[in-house]
Amino acid sequence: MFSTNDTIVAIATPPGRGGIGVVRLSGPDAHAITLRLVTHNGSLRPRRATLTRIACTTDAAAEPIDQVVVTSFPRPHSYTGDDVVEVSAHGSPVILRAIVEAAIDRGARLAEPGEFTLRAFLNGRIDLMQAEAVADLIDAVTPLQARAAFDQLEGTLTAAIAGIDAALFDLVARLEASVDFPDEGYHFVEPGALGRAIDDLAGRTAALLAGARRGQLIRDGLQIAIVGRPNVGKSSLFNALAGAARAIVTDVPGTTRDLVTEVVDLDGLRVTLVDTAGLRETSERVESEGVERARRAAAVADLVLIVVDEDEAELVGTKHLVVQNKADLERPSRGVRVSAVTGAGLDDLRRAIIAALDVEPVRDRPALTNVRHIALVERAHVSLTRAAGAARRSMPEEFVLADLQDARAALEEISGRRASEALLEHIFARFCIGK
Amino acid sequence: MKQHFDVIVIGAGHAGCEAAHAAARLGAHVGLCTLSTDTVAHMPCNPAVGGTAKGHLVREIDAIGGLMGRAIDATGIQFKLLNRSRGPAVWSPRAQADKKMYGRWVKHALDAEANVEWLIGKAGRILVSGERVVGLALEGADEYACEALVMTTGTFLNGLIHIGPDQHAAGRAGEPPSRELAESLKSLGFEWGRLKTGTPPRLDRESIDFDRHADDGTFAVERGDMPPVPFSFLSGAIDRPQIDCYLVHTNDRVRDLVRANIDRSPLFNGQIRGIGPRYCPSLEDKIVRFPDKERHQIFLEPEGVDAREIYVNGFSMSLPRDVQADLVHALPGLEDAVLLRPGYAVEYDFIQPTELTRRLETKRVRGLFLAGQINGTSGYEEAAAQGLVAGINAAHRALGREGFELHRDESYIGILVDDLITKGCLEPYRMFTSRAEHRLLLRIDNADLRLTPRGRDAGLVDNERWDRFCRRRSRFDRNLCVLETTPLRASSGDRVPAAQLLRQPEIRLVDLIAQGVVPHFESEPSSAAIDIASAETTIKYAGYLRRQQAEIERSRKDERRRIPPAFPFERVPGLSREVVQRLNQVRPDTLGQALRIPGVTPAAVAVLASYVGRFTPHPNML
Ligand SMILES: Cc1cc2nc3c(=O)[nH]c(=O)nc-3n(C[C@H](O)[C@H](O)[C@H](O)COP(=O)(O)OP(=O)(O)OC[C@H]3O[C@@H](n4cnc5c(N)ncnc54)[C@H](O)[C@@H]3O)c2cc1C
Ligand SMILES: Nc1nc2c(ncn2[C@@H]2O[C@H](COP(=O)(O)OP(=O)(O)OP(=O)(O)O)[C@@H](O)[C@H]2O)c(=O)[nH]1
Ligand SMILES: [Mg+2]
Repeated sequence: MFSTNDTIVAIATPPGRGGIGVVRLSGPDAHAITLRLVTHNGSLRPRRATLTRIACTTDAAAEPIDQVVVTSFPRPHSYTGDDVVEVSAHGSPVILRAIVEAAIDRGARLAEPGEFTLRAFLNGRIDLMQAEAVADLIDAVTPLQARAAFDQLEGTLTAAIAGIDAALFDLVARLEASVDFPDEGYHFVEPGALGRAIDDLAGRTAALLAGARRGQLIRDGLQIAIVGRPNVGKSSLFNALAGAARAIVTDVPGTTRDLVTEVVDLDGLRVTLVDTAGLRETSERVESEGVERARRAAAVADLVLIVVDEDEAELVGTKHLVVQNKADLERPSRGVRVSAVTGAGLDDLRRAIIAALDVEPVRDRPALTNVRHIALVERAHVSLTRAAGAARRSMPEEFVLADLQDARAALEEISGRRASEALLEHIFARFCIGK
Repeated sequence: MKQHFDVIVIGAGHAGCEAAHAAARLGAHVGLCTLSTDTVAHMPCNPAVGGTAKGHLVREIDAIGGLMGRAIDATGIQFKLLNRSRGPAVWSPRAQADKKMYGRWVKHALDAEANVEWLIGKAGRILVSGERVVGLALEGADEYACEALVMTTGTFLNGLIHIGPDQHAAGRAGEPPSRELAESLKSLGFEWGRLKTGTPPRLDRESIDFDRHADDGTFAVERGDMPPVPFSFLSGAIDRPQIDCYLVHTNDRVRDLVRANIDRSPLFNGQIRGIGPRYCPSLEDKIVRFPDKERHQIFLEPEGVDAREIYVNGFSMSLPRDVQADLVHALPGLEDAVLLRPGYAVEYDFIQPTELTRRLETKRVRGLFLAGQINGTSGYEEAAAQGLVAGINAAHRALGREGFELHRDESYIGILVDDLITKGCLEPYRMFTSRAEHRLLLRIDNADLRLTPRGRDAGLVDNERWDRFCRRRSRFDRNLCVLETTPLRASSGDRVPAAQLLRQPEIRLVDLIAQGVVPHFESEPSSAAIDIASAETTIKYAGYLRRQQAEIERSRKDERRRIPPAFPFERVPGLSREVVQRLNQVRPDTLGQALRIPGVTPAAVAVLASYVGRFTPHPNML
């Protein structure tokens, strides 16, 4: 259970990275606690970096352990909306942990995962959607994923959804006005314009949803199965793509039995590679179980690499690429030619994989990556489609509105709820209503 | 010894009359304290009842057993069902009243209640002992004891009227303000504010040649519906003579006059500080805030069948009297009109309704109830609806009964009360259908199906109304049955149940009835439109209704989940200081209400929810 009026501390940079590491404190005592950690005398100037040394024990005689830069961000203009101090130290995990522990000794509490973001959200510094983006950012493994999360944080997606939401809101307000103020002599919505306006909105949610598959792939990563006859060099190729000798390679056909997986970064895409047993008829129990698993892996993969040597390709999986391995030897010319041993053609193979997956990253196209968001936009889309149908059948406005309001509710769950008076305000600001 | 009442009601406006009537009907001995019996249920502004959403309120008041619906049916002189071109969910009745007759009708209705005793005088001081109301002192001397006190003093608390630069203290034109009472109330510690409203000038009917201007097209004639659709579920056909109203438009001359004199408008020169309703803009507001709008509608409405006054709807203002006359004369056809009374603006104190519970009882003083404009609302219907709720609960309080609450998902009255007690008022509050989340279910045709059983439980529905309701409910059920079972020939040639045919948008039940193909469909002659609407809506829009009903069921668990009265919000970890402060101010009784408090985030309510669960171990407390 979180409390939001004490001071929390945690390492803010991802674990295990070199260079600079940051410890962040947030809460009413952030400033005071920091001053008791550093040798610097006097208070910290807001938003100015102060170079000082940090002493991590309460023992006054002890040597300072590191030189650090501390920066104070007084409330409310800070990441969390509370007083925040950031301590940048050299990124050794040992030092960072020591600083955190020292802060705890002086009255701070170790933050729960996500607690800084929770405070930012509770203090109204970020909206729900951005709060989720922060979590994505922290989880991000590869640069592209980080960027998709970052886009969301910066607002590409927020802007796209806000755009749809604002247009929908205006339409809803006008329809509500026509219902509530029937004798004001206004056409709040021009006759005939309603259907078109709703179709346009449905088109925009549809576009977001179309992007969602791509977004989801970026977020959750893809599975690529490597299959083929025994000894064609699947495990060798797997190791080459993974950049490590993960799978056993021998010249004995049937070496690989179990599925071997490795997460790799393929030009920014997070991909799970699956090495499999060579496909062949066999009465050997262990091997036949391996073949069975290989087929299943191929069936569920986003893409199958069918590796061939001198044999014919056995086509499995709905989406596949034929990879001609051992191109350093005399081999037929088909599919993508590579050599797992020399590394020739591997770049071509990576490009071919990206092309086959159809996930070319586009920087400025907003990508819905969060399952919850996809579900909400989907709900909005279904409601908009239904509203469009009702408008086309000339149903009275209040029925069209029932669905439009539902769409609005779904979008506002992403972009944040409006105050209930907002609708009337919108109407009164635009139309002279009342007697 | 002081005379003792179960319930004292201060004010015989629309709120006070409903409150006194309801409390008396429940068996409470009621003292109705008012300045004069000449202004009972007076309409200081527009002589009309109903309108979008307001018409819903009146139907609901009637369904529960209140007065307003019957009063307007008995005295209405032009009836219109608004939004008829739309679906039945947003149909709203509206009627012009014969203003004098309306007041007299309500006075008679109260005179007929043996439990109501008039206390003519000026209420001055609320008597409180140990955070409990014990009585009322009139200005002067007399003191009365009571168990519950309902205050419905409208615009009278420190009322201040503005006509141009002239200001004088008054509750309404020609009536004294209530100062002592205002101070007595404030001394109890209530949060209060100041609002403003206004009314247009009245013209002399004799000075306007309506026939000529209607003939030559200067005035557009506005007729009512024939036959009128009554408000009350008890009313038969309305056959009183009906009147016409007239529509004119403002012109450039009106615009120029307003602009030239804008610095003489107390609204614009800083003389008025109270906040007015944006949905009832003054003429000054219309011209200044919407310079692009070329002309504004003005309705000329007789205040009664024989009344001398013509109400100039849409022309409310607080400019000096001479400018008002010039403005009237600038309107087409009114060149020679005589101004009987100028329009004016009035500022008054109100109490922030966040001080109240869902029963409209103050949280600070047990037994003290507030209803009507004193709570920041505006409009007769909003006042009456609150009066009804407060009156029932005051009687329940005095007689030791359990209390009566209406919720958002069952009524507009519930929405009204919930909005008031949750959000307070920053400007005068009026009801709109867009405030209803589940509008399709809250229709005028089913107000009785929704609420008459509630009124019966509360004790306000008498046997006559109840019998009638039971007949109507079984008629409704039979009608659905008839439509499900009467086979009709579809365009395909197949014979299908009438209900199936009705689901096609272009097939209308009225037409089927007119063609005589559903002979077993029953309806009361005076409410045929309602009987038909109830059945048709239920069938034609079944999908929509089902979905809204499902939403209500889904949310009801949280929506109605009780927060115990003494729940310590400050002890819930994770809530910001601001949120705790808002929660403590409003003290929501349900999680649903907590979620609607401005500034309380969904995340905060999620946290709250987990704690409320722990503080209420007994399922019967939920
Ligand atoms: C000038 C004006 C313009 C308005 N314009 C609009 C408008 O444009 N649109 C709209 O919707 N509504 C308008 N209203 C509001 C509408 O009239 C009120 O909302 C409604 O009448 C309020 O009803 P009520 O019962 O709360 O109070 P009221 O109807 O005002 O009744 C108050 C009652 O309290 C009595 N009273 C007051 N003080 C004392 C006392 N000390 N002792 C004993 N009795 C007392 C009075 O005699 C009166 O009977 C206007 C009102 C006024 C005055
Ligand atoms: N010259 C050459 N030899 C290769 C290449 N790739 C793999 N080999 C050799 O081919 C043999 C089989 O390689 P593996 O990678 O174990 O083949 P596999 O397809 O995984 O075989 P199974 O697991 O038994 O199905 C080994 O001796 C490799 O060294 C290549 O590109 N060029
Ligand atoms: Mg292998």
